[in-house]
Amino acid sequence: MKKTILFLSFVALTGSLFAQKKTTTSAIVNFDASTAIDALPKAENKTVTAAVDTKTGTVAFEATVKNFAFTNPRIQEHFNGKDWLNSDNFPKFTFKGKIADLSKVNFAKDGSYTVQVTGDLTVKDVTKPVSTEVTIVVSGGTLSTTTAFSIKLADYGITGIPIDAGKVAKEPKITVSAELK
Amino acid sequence: MSTQTNKKSPWLKRILFGGLVLVLAGAGIYWYIATDTFADTKDRKSAFTVEAVDFIREFQQNDSLANLKYREKILTVNGTVSDLESPDTATVNVKLIDTTSGNFAIFAFQDQHVAEAKSLKIGDKVSIKGSCSGGSLDGILEVIKIDFKRSALNKQ
Repeated sequence: MKKTILFLSFVALTGSLFAQKKTTTSAIVNFDASTAIDALPKAENKTVTAAVDTKTGTVAFEATVKNFAFTNPRIQEHFNGKDWLNSDNFPKFTFKGKIADLSKVNFAKDGSYTVQVTGDLTVKDVTKPVSTEVTIVVSGGTLSTTTAFSIKLADYGITGIPIDAGKVAKEPKITVSAELK
Repeated sequence: MSTQTNKKSPWLKRILFGGLVLVLAGAGIYWYIATDTFADTKDRKSAFTVEAVDFIREFQQNDSLANLKYREKILTVNGTVSDLESPDTATVNVKLIDTTSGNFAIFAFQDQHVAEAKSLKIGDKVSIKGSCSGGSLDGILEVIKIDFKRSALNKQ
């Protein structure tokens, strides 16, 4: 009986360590559109869903737009407003991509790996290609991933006086970190 | 000539004074808006107090109606901690899961309340107050996920 329990525990443990799909519901995405004349347009979303398939190399992220927390209520209101992200009609940001050089990562061996991820970022129903360098740290079956890239707001149809006036960056920096198990 | 100048100067002074008042008022309004921050959620009044499982099931039954009712409101949600996730060493998210469906609500905490959230354990009964960002089917996990930001532990 003891042997059976021990065996099942071992199977469960190795199963979770080497599961093909690693996920989290607590990835962090930072959005920083601050400029030299306005430090306010930046926010953080700490409840982003993410998944990495270690066998196929597919990567997916999904963020609720309204869960980006700003320090300033007015800026948050503008961010979600009809002229900007229109989060009532377009409630999610999504990214679907793939690790381009999957063979560089040994998910069974602890270590730090740098890979290129390419895919499609959808904001306000507009989909544009994104390619970014991602650091993956493998530790005991857990993947800690980090990346940073910029997007052009105009590519997603986001324009306006605050951008033209230099109060909001034309190309905000997006940083992403996730611990996937 | 000198008499005429003296007659106009009080008006000039009034216009200058009025302009100064407008500039100061504008600067004050701008300063107020620019330095305004969200209040501590703990001190804010809840629009609704709900039981976690019933609340999650409202989204399962009709997420459009549930979003109309709860989105962008401060809610107090009572339930049992199903999971704790630490996206980094500085923070922790609390999950309340409806175990029959896998649908869940997830709470990110306001900076000043992260320490109290870190003291929680799976299975603890909690009452969490937070700003509801709405819920819908998560395209990755294929369950309903309801997001909260700027949360605070109401009581344990």
